[in-house]
Amino acid sequence: MPNLHLLLKKLGEASVEFVIVGGYAGVLYGSSLVTNDVDICTIVSPGTVEKLRVALRDLHPIHRMTHQRLSFLEHPSAGETVQNLYLETDAGILDVLSQIDGVGDYQRLNAKAIEVELSGYKCRVISLSDLIRAKEAVGREKDLLAAKELRAIAAKRESTP
Amino acid sequence: MTAAEREQAIAEAMRAGFDLSIVDSNLALSPDERALRHDSALELVHALREAGSAYAQSSSAPKKAG
Repeated sequence: MPNLHLLLKKLGEASVEFVIVGGYAGVLYGSSLVTNDVDICTIVSPGTVEKLRVALRDLHPIHRMTHQRLSFLEHPSAGETVQNLYLETDAGILDVLSQIDGVGDYQRLNAKAIEVELSGYKCRVISLSDLIRAKEAVGREKDLLAAKELRAIAAKRESTP
Repeated sequence: MTAAEREQAIAEAMRAGFDLSIVDSNLALSPDERALRHDSALELVHALREAGSAYAQSSSAPKKAG
């Protein structure tokens, strides 16, 4: 069974620096849509890969988009550069992205991100306006629909004194 | 967002089929509570999927001759 909350707790425990993006960020802002995965944006450096391995070691992480479903604990090898990681773990799906369509890279996102506490760990979450921009930039039907709900959430938040 | 833009955003979400009372209920929670509520819903979705595929397998299995 997925446990996305646990997945984020593990990342927090391993001091991985990231910004939560995608549908789970929407959930944290109050979206009613259920998402199957956690998407994070980070600088995908060898150091980050090592911290992610420490975080996910007990959750049997694999590269879900590889034919052989390679273990993330062994791939990528030292010196190999990667842009994104599409992982499946015992606690659910985790996508690690270095760039978000319509918004930019980790540093750009982090500059406007907000901080929330999850399971006692402080997590950075993409700003609501950036999340709406990202959903609209992707442009798939489901993302455009999600953007409509997020716009309503933004409106309600602004209306609240 | 102007008041008119706020009204428009809410009207568009309702037209798209969103039940904004659920959003109101979520907004009354902390982000941590929203995440836990979401994960319970996701767990239910997975349990239903598993039950559905177990049912499909059992109903398509060849019947044994008595």
